[in-house]
Amino acid sequence: MDRQLLLSKLKTIVASYSHDKDALEYLSETTDFTKDLKINSANLVDVVLDVEEEFDIEIDNLSMERMLNVSAAIEIIESKLKEIDRK
Amino acid sequence: MIGNDIVDLHQADADSNWRRKGYLQKVFSREEQQLILSASNPCQMVWLLWSMKEAVYKIHSRRKNWHVFAPVKLVCTEVKLHGTCATGVVVCQRLKYFTQSAVNPEFIHTMAGESFPLEAARIDISCYDPSDESYRNTAPATVSHHGRYLALAYL
Repeated sequence: MDRQLLLSKLKTIVASYSHDKDALEYLSETTDFTKDLKINSANLVDVVLDVEEEFDIEIDNLSMERMLNVSAAIEIIESKLKEIDRK
Repeated sequence: MIGNDIVDLHQADADSNWRRKGYLQKVFSREEQQLILSASNPCQMVWLLWSMKEAVYKIHSRRKNWHVFAPVKLVCTEVKLHGTCATGVVVCQRLKYFTQSAVNPEFIHTMAGESFPLEAARIDISCYDPSDESYRNTAPATVSHHGRYLALAYL
């Protein structure tokens, strides 16, 4: 999947939980989910579940541990999508 | 070291649907899920366990420089809820922490410490005003805010 498309899909997901609309507008790969977007930790679980549904992948607990910012999320989604391609 | 966490139950109800598919499994162990599903008030139990994990995470993350999102690695045990007061033990990476929570229909506030009974702390729960950061000058040992509430604890 194209990285821009992936980023825009991710942006749509986090938009529902972000409490900082400015940070959301300037979303980049360095954006942190809790520090910048002010997503509360209970909603981080929703981000993970929404990502699973949107991309039809499974995020294991080890990957979830690292899913704290946009770049980690993209890296995890890309690697899970590649795993599916190989199957 | 101490840690605290406040959950505004109305805010949590508005923001989170813990009943959605897969939610509990991402956050809670099998035993914890059992505790939730068998509780007379499952919703209250969800946020009680959550606030125990969050309060302990505040201590453990500072102590071990551990910054991850791994709620299942903070395991709640010995949870005892009597009316408006709850106590429990949370184990993380083989370290044991102790918690004490105030539970009422509006909020749950948990204090966590490294020994039991917990170190004596003065707790101050007030209305949260995002534009007012003056509480920072009062040097609280731990801070938590959620929804309508700001919870500070001083040693």
